[in-house]
Amino acid sequence: MNNIKNMKKITFCIILCGLFSFSSCSLFEMDNYSAPAETLQGEVVDVATGDPVLTDQGSEGIRVRLTELSFGDNVTHNPDFFCMSNGSFQNTKIFKGNYNIRIDGPFIPLIREDERGVPLADETKTMDIKGTTKVKFEVQPFLKVEWVSEPTVTDGKITAKVRVTRAVSESDFQSKIEPMGGYSSSFLNVTDIQLFVSYSSSVGYRARDDRWSSKIEYSGSAFGTLLGKTITIESNGTIPSGQTVFVRAASRINYDTPKGSGTRRWNYSEPAEVIVP
Amino acid sequence: MIHMKKIFILPIIGLLLFSACNDLNIMPKNVITDDNLLSNEAGMEIYMARMYSSMPFEDFKYMPQWGINFNSWLGAIGIEGTGEALNRDGICTAFTGEDTPYWGQAFTLLRSANHLLEVLPKYKSAYKEETYNHYLGEAYFVRATVFYAMARRFGGAPLVTKEIQYPADADQLEVPRASEKETWDQVLADFDKATELLQSKSPKTGYANKYVALAFKSEAMLYAGSVAKYNETVPGRLTGFGQKTGVRVIGFAQDEWQDASKKYFTEAYKAAKKVMQDGGYSLYKKKWSPTDREAQYQNMVDMFSDLTSPENIYVKEYQYPTMTHGFDAYSAPFIFRAPLASGTCPSLDFLELFDGFNRYPDGTVKVTDGNSNNQGNYLMYDTPMDFFKNAEPRLRAYVIFPGDMFRGKEIEIRAGVYTGSTPVSSLFSDYSYNNAGTLYQHLDAYKLSPKKLYLSPRQENSQELVPYNGGTMTAAGANGPFYDNGEGCLTGLYDRKWLNADPAFVAGEGKSAQPFILMRYAEVLLNAAEAAVELSLAGVTSPDNDNLMQVATDAVNQIRERAGATLLTANITSTEAGRNIVRKERRKELGLEHKTRWDLRRWRVWHYEGRDGFWGEVRNKDSYSNSSRYRFRGLYPFFSTVTGKYFFDAHFQWVSQKTFEYNIVDYYFAIPGGEVSKSSVIDQQPNR
Repeated sequence: MNNIKNMKKITFCIILCGLFSFSSCSLFEMDNYSAPAETLQGEVVDVATGDPVLTDQGSEGIRVRLTELSFGDNVTHNPDFFCMSNGSFQNTKIFKGNYNIRIDGPFIPLIREDERGVPLADETKTMDIKGTTKVKFEVQPFLKVEWVSEPTVTDGKITAKVRVTRAVSESDFQSKIEPMGGYSSSFLNVTDIQLFVSYSSSVGYRARDDRWSSKIEYSGSAFGTLLGKTITIESNGTIPSGQTVFVRAASRINYDTPKGSGTRRWNYSEPAEVIVP
Repeated sequence: MIHMKKIFILPIIGLLLFSACNDLNIMPKNVITDDNLLSNEAGMEIYMARMYSSMPFEDFKYMPQWGINFNSWLGAIGIEGTGEALNRDGICTAFTGEDTPYWGQAFTLLRSANHLLEVLPKYKSAYKEETYNHYLGEAYFVRATVFYAMARRFGGAPLVTKEIQYPADADQLEVPRASEKETWDQVLADFDKATELLQSKSPKTGYANKYVALAFKSEAMLYAGSVAKYNETVPGRLTGFGQKTGVRVIGFAQDEWQDASKKYFTEAYKAAKKVMQDGGYSLYKKKWSPTDREAQYQNMVDMFSDLTSPENIYVKEYQYPTMTHGFDAYSAPFIFRAPLASGTCPSLDFLELFDGFNRYPDGTVKVTDGNSNNQGNYLMYDTPMDFFKNAEPRLRAYVIFPGDMFRGKEIEIRAGVYTGSTPVSSLFSDYSYNNAGTLYQHLDAYKLSPKKLYLSPRQENSQELVPYNGGTMTAAGANGPFYDNGEGCLTGLYDRKWLNADPAFVAGEGKSAQPFILMRYAEVLLNAAEAAVELSLAGVTSPDNDNLMQVATDAVNQIRERAGATLLTANITSTEAGRNIVRKERRKELGLEHKTRWDLRRWRVWHYEGRDGFWGEVRNKDSYSNSSRYRFRGLYPFFSTVTGKYFFDAHFQWVSQKTFEYNIVDYYFAIPGGEVSKSSVIDQQPNR
């Protein structure tokens, strides 16, 4: 009996010792690293007019890339996030720290390097993010897309009148992009106009409805003479009557940002609500 | 309690007793060393087996979505958004990256190869010179294969060409990515070294030889040449520098791409020609007859399982029950499910590459008597197979048609039964991409009464029954398609290539042992043809004075003749159209062989702007895509009870609808994030 009792004690002791050996020095302390709680609010505006740069929320829109700099030289950026369609962005779950903030979108790139990777310009922002930090990027969008008049509906088809103008002058574009190497005047060509239609008010490339969205494509510099002119674009198919849909127009040039990604981003108009009678 | 204390003290004393002052420096007998392995042929065989078992070959155990992890689960082929085939599961997604990126495994294998290259010279005297050279050649072949696998995924790779000793300083251990050009040059150099050292016949089954190396070299150089050239066709010229090193890790400089492209195409051409001239391989024609299309078909069925085929250059063999895969368990027709089925359903778009069908003016397969499939009335056929009676024998060998025989059974594929009057006009008014989501079960003929169209949501007891000829018949065929069950046929067609056709075979997971042909002579012919046309387009004179266009034409015609396809009557011209003849032939011949996705990548025809060239020939991308997304079509047979005949409808994939997305950034896969963040020299792709 005594033996068994002893055995039990010993086993208990061994287990207890074992358990303690797994404990760390701060066994009785709470995990004290605070959750990411800092907020970054930003807006992207046209440097010339102060108007927000409208976009679509998604990887084809304006990408926001934060890089926390305290890790030393081999840092990897934080997960990307994207501007809201009104050209502003907000992230409320950021760790306190020193960050580089870079945005890529349908505007003159903030980081410009020549063919050999030598920096030409760096307009990204580096700042401490703490509490609610606000940041404003003043950029030069490629295009400005506007409604000339309210879109109209006949027989389930939306007709929109759109005007596309350059928000950055050709010479300005050339002077900033050419030093990056491999320049071609074809970069400036407007390649297409899109009419995105959707049930959702966050209409855009991502939320478009393929049944009704339409586009007009232009090859080469065919669009040149249409800059500033009224362009009429009609939706596809027939939208069932009694529905409310939202439309946006978008247009882009033959230039991808960031360079080499092949993603040519659109500049957008304001969304418009259309009631299909 | 006194006892207890003793119990604590004893182990402590015990621990002290185990310490010693002398180092133990006797080699344990159970540790295998270089002396054991590299000093004799038996040991070398083990060394080779170990390297070969982790080679990045893509066969039955490769799934594009997952990457190289040697797993045959859900085995299917051609489902990665290349248009060859479709599958119901999440694995059916465009080839924009691999879940297991080919990175860490690559360096393990490189280490084995580099170790062999560095240590084997110590044991040179143990071998005949020929054997010794062959082993070194194998190591170069392994290295070339690894660098090639990395280059076509990532562009520039870290060129680890020596065994890195560990421990060492960080600058010794860390190798940054080289430029893409340097990487391809290394691939070239290693294949050349392998070619020089390897014997001309493999000394053992599964070993490489001179012509294996040359054949893969031609494939790799075709990739390199194409990338150098077609990066230029991508908006924004696909190139850039690594952030940490400033090395051009993807793409080529503006002043070097032309020379690089010419050089690589020349190497591809010469390597392929060498195999053609001296390799002793030929197209498989054991059952072939120039006049008998049935024989031509059977010949091409047999060639994929005949290990004595003179066409086989390099084969991954399997053996039941120790070394098996499960392709038949996942990709056979539904009636053979064991435990799954229908993993590989070829698309109508793939079928349209082949000869022997009536066409509309826009080149798509004709199913009605109008000028497009939303016009006119359906053409009627007594049996489904009548639709395919003139189909190219090669297509029939690759794809099971509705009503054709497989494993001794008729493969019944029927989308539904139509009980309305004839002639039957098009079921839909709009077959365009934008309307792809409108399906047969949404039609009034199906939903409203009187019901004219019968479809089945699921198999067997869930089939809808249709009164016919005094009895009843099921709405869908025994293999589907079932609109609510993606395990039935998805497209109206089934894959035949690689499946075990033996009626006595009982399929199951890990029950299949068919070989996979990693490299066959037909590809070498096509490599030569494509390189020839590209050289001619670039204005390079023939490297061996043969007429380039003649070489290309002969190669294509040899393949077409064996396939039972229409022969070229005039020489291929040195134009884009001529190049497309070769590309299309390649897409046909090598479809469903893990080759097409790489071709689409290197041609840079996967993203929207370049997608007109997706099918090898020019097809209007807007007919099957919308910006970055695109989809494929099926060919759905319906039975008309009024006439007792069949008609076909061509519609975007009806069951388990899949859309795919491919963007320019996907031409270079992302470097695994963990590798980038833990290293101070490994660069992420600059365009990501």
